[in-house]
Amino acid sequence: MSAQSPPRGPTVPRTRAKKAAGRTATFRGARWVDERIGGAKFARTALNKVFPDHWSFMIGELALYCFVTLLLTGTYLTFFFDPSTETTTYHGSYAPLRGVEMTRAYRSALELSFDVRAGLVMRQIHHWAALLFLATIVVHLARVFFTGAFRKPRELNWIIGVTLLTLAIFNGFAGYSLLDDQLSGTGLRIAYSIALSIPLVGTWVTSLLFGGEFPGADIIERLYVIHILLIPAAITVLLAGHLYLVVRQKHTQFPGPGRREDNVVGERMWPTYAAKAVGLLFLTVSVLSMLGGLVQINPIWVFGPFDPAQVSSASQPDWYMGWLDGALRIMPGWEIRAFGFSIPNPFFPAVLLAGLTFGLLYAWPFLEARVTGDHDLHHLDDRPRQRPVRTALGVATISFYAICFLGGASDVLSTTFGLSVNAVLWTMRFALFIVPPIMAWATYRLCKELSARDGVPTASQVDWREIPHRLRHGSGPDDGDADENEDDDDPAAAPAAS
Amino acid sequence: MNHADQPERRHRRHRRLALVSVLGGVVGLTFLVVGRAPAGADSDLEAHGRSLYLEGCVSCHGTKGQGVGGSGGDNERGPRITDAGAAGAYYMLSTGRMPLNDPNEQPHRKDPAYGPKDIDALVAFVASLGHGPALTKVDLADASLANGGLVFRADCQACHSASGSGGALSYGRAAPSLREATPEQVAAAVRSGPGQMPVFGQGDVDRKQLRDLVAYVQYLRHPSDRGGLAIGRVGPVPEGFVAWSVGVVLLLACVFWIGTRSPIRSRPGANADADADADADAHTNADSDADVGSEP
Amino acid sequence: MTDPTEPPDPTEPPEPTEPPEPPQDRPWEDEPLEQPAGPEDPASGAHGAPRSAATAEALAATCFLAAALAAIGLGVVYWQGGQTQLEGLLLAVATGGIGVGIVVWAKRFMPDEEVIEEREPLASSEEEIAEFNADFVHGEQSLVGRRILVGSLGAALAALGAALLFPIRSLGPRPGRGLKETAYAKAKGRRRGIRLVRADGGPIKPAELPVDGVLTAFPEDHTHDGDAPTLLIRTRASQKLELQHGRAAWVVDGIVAYSKLCTHVGCPVGLYQAGEGLLLCPCHQSTFNVLKGAEPIFGPATRPLPQLPLAVDDEGYLIATADFSAPVGPGFWDRDR
Repeated sequence: MSAQSPPRGPTVPRTRAKKAAGRTATFRGARWVDERIGGAKFARTALNKVFPDHWSFMIGELALYCFVTLLLTGTYLTFFFDPSTETTTYHGSYAPLRGVEMTRAYRSALELSFDVRAGLVMRQIHHWAALLFLATIVVHLARVFFTGAFRKPRELNWIIGVTLLTLAIFNGFAGYSLLDDQLSGTGLRIAYSIALSIPLVGTWVTSLLFGGEFPGADIIERLYVIHILLIPAAITVLLAGHLYLVVRQKHTQFPGPGRREDNVVGERMWPTYAAKAVGLLFLTVSVLSMLGGLVQINPIWVFGPFDPAQVSSASQPDWYMGWLDGALRIMPGWEIRAFGFSIPNPFFPAVLLAGLTFGLLYAWPFLEARVTGDHDLHHLDDRPRQRPVRTALGVATISFYAICFLGGASDVLSTTFGLSVNAVLWTMRFALFIVPPIMAWATYRLCKELSARDGVPTASQVDWREIPHRLRHGSGPDDGDADENEDDDDPAAAPAAS
Repeated sequence: MNHADQPERRHRRHRRLALVSVLGGVVGLTFLVVGRAPAGADSDLEAHGRSLYLEGCVSCHGTKGQGVGGSGGDNERGPRITDAGAAGAYYMLSTGRMPLNDPNEQPHRKDPAYGPKDIDALVAFVASLGHGPALTKVDLADASLANGGLVFRADCQACHSASGSGGALSYGRAAPSLREATPEQVAAAVRSGPGQMPVFGQGDVDRKQLRDLVAYVQYLRHPSDRGGLAIGRVGPVPEGFVAWSVGVVLLLACVFWIGTRSPIRSRPGANADADADADADAHTNADSDADVGSEP
Repeated sequence: MTDPTEPPDPTEPPEPTEPPEPPQDRPWEDEPLEQPAGPEDPASGAHGAPRSAATAEALAATCFLAAALAAIGLGVVYWQGGQTQLEGLLLAVATGGIGVGIVVWAKRFMPDEEVIEEREPLASSEEEIAEFNADFVHGEQSLVGRRILVGSLGAALAALGAALLFPIRSLGPRPGRGLKETAYAKAKGRRRGIRLVRADGGPIKPAELPVDGVLTAFPEDHTHDGDAPTLLIRTRASQKLELQHGRAAWVVDGIVAYSKLCTHVGCPVGLYQAGEGLLLCPCHQSTFNVLKGAEPIFGPATRPLPQLPLAVDDEGYLIATADFSAPVGPGFWDRDR
């Protein structure tokens, strides 16, 4: 960097003599770095980067800060946790388990909760952060979906985002399984059986993953490496890519006066947006600490050590796996058998449904582009009401998984509300197919209503009846028109700016 | 017999109302024999119990506890209770499950209909009807919570859940919460297996184990909630509920607060005059035209 | 949108522009984000706040000070031995105070003017692509020209890749008979069978199990096997057992033995409803009828719980005379073969 443009000088209008003195050290340090790697120009660009502001654009940040919290608390936990399935006897301060045989993993988790100062609060913050990491990812995903922010050119970032969601779910489950309490062991057993149900390779996959038949000698140690190293590293790398793409492509914005496809209107990174982001980081940690300190989560000392012959009523996974567990419960007792081979029942609700869920998520931007024939670049977000079909499908999908989740809570619902568990499950079996279409229809009507009230025609981009045709042949018969319009776009944009 | 049922008089009704079973709607309560009835019960007490029995129980259980049949073959109106024993009778009466107003009702915990003395009398009378399990006195002084926990997790948590909060069974049945159970009631239930509950005899849960188990169940009434608010202690379902209804809501509130501007703010595109704004609108419209394009 | 448009401001295109901002009162029709206009407070640099600037500054400073106090309190609590709720609360106050303070500061005292940045085209220009192609093809020629080298290097890399897959095999043993057999299999042909024992290893006499009683048993010396837990249930004399053909002799004094592992995903099926003879799995609510060979009657399980043939040995203890009637636990691809 050349000397005549000092890194900050002109862009900072305030010049207070008092501060200048304090700055020299900082400046000298900055200069030292700059002489070696340069970067003042880059840094200035970063300071001036513009973020469109809408509160919903910060939801992804929430997920990021939950992840930061997970890394910080998780690192602390690793200093005390011992991922070993070796049998030992507990002699810690929790009297009702003193003298009980257990694995070192469970024992160290107990000691972490009772004998390590600040251990329990860290563990609880970690667990709440995991639940909220997933929750904020899902809310963020919903925001991106309903505003159409996944459209070209952002399909890549959508794919990275869905991958992050998948990794986060896996890592959450791995963490839940590490402690080797009764609940986590039951969860692992179910995961084992689901993997076992995969045709052809199931037996091999489980044997290699668990190091033999369930419970397997190595699974805790392996999950530990996966939980604290492999997946967090993958998440970190993908997060970096996710953020890089946001910077490279610039954030989308809602349409409005002066807000066009070819500009970004918003706040500068420095100082306002940066301050708000840091503030949000602290607020996120604050909410997580409050939950971690005041609301008990996963009281493993109540569940006791894992024993493959035992189980407790109300065994559920954390919420982000709850829909899968619910699908397992809702599925009737069917399976496919032929010639002595079979595709076991859990394969359909667990492997197939999960595969379909994530397959559709990955494919959505491409499916939608194909159906609508819209291959333009989009930097302006949709308002959900302007896309009744997409919004209706999204709401229907959410209701589908919500019902699955309620199915997963069938026994808790039964106990809490005094219902028959069979009645609850039968209700879910029907609701799964009845409620989503109703939700879709209601949402569609609502979008139309709202748009009509706005006086803006909805971009109901496609006739329902045409979808099969479009999926087969790519974009629809009116493709040409769309292209023409696209061509019209740029000339239209040019005078707008002049 | 020592009654520790005073705490139960709290006016606290279980949420679990009468659930009509899908299978048929017959509540088949059957008390079974384990061990031996106490020898030589006080005859005065027994006589008092007999008069109470003939007043309140006979219509369903018959004069000698043989049960009363309905139109079907089995004892549909009330089951045979000759072998219910002192334990079975004590459990049912002291938890208010008996007497039932309606034989089709699913019994649940309520305030006992009889006072302690009357319960003593009825228990003595029912015990004299056959060879049911006796009441076990439990002295919790030397009990080991750790051993009790082992027994509880092996034999009880499957239905009553690890935290003793109860759980759902099939076809409308439910294992009750143990949060209000007194030591005598727990011991009586283990030995007599009321309702759908299996029976655990000496061969499975011996005297010492029973004592430890009872102590552990008492502990579960107020277990260590070192982590804070217990939110039911039934695992991840309430946790997920709190994560969404408290966590997500708070975080979104933060984001909403940060992301909304002060009431007045500078306008975007301030340099753009009215024409440019009009153009911008036209531009947006052109976009939506492109999207609508395929629609005739 | 491939064409970059003229910026609305004379400054250079990559720079964000900062236009002067006259206050406008006209609310925009389509603006979803805007709040209604209010009075402006030019002196503070923040706009139209209900609170005065001084109040805001005091608020932010109070937050920071509260955070500092909470942080000190956190240290004290830790030093005094720690208390989870206090720790969480103080940490929440400390971080929350800092967060609220910063946000108030940012919202009230930091510049909040909106700026416009142009979007540059994301795609490369045709020239750049052509230049890249030219360079790439230039280099590629020297690679593609050597067909032998390319081919042999490809072979080497493929072989190496395949060879590196082999160590995966070390992760676990070959799935063999283990999934289809339990420790009871050794009973076959042995006259004394295999004893059933409790979790503590003690053998079981039939009389020790009361009517309506349940007991989790294991094959002797294998109480820790994951696939061996067995449920012994003593049915009532009044409960008529309708077992599969040929299994009447597998019952001892009304005691039947089934695998405790659900045939759905292997959870222990521990919830016995004695009056109705039903076994319920708490994980996914599969329900089995004990009186009818543990056939599933509700839920996702498709197969009955495998039954264990019981007998009594010379000393009067319960034994198994053979393995379970079917592979225990969850299904897999070739379970029936």
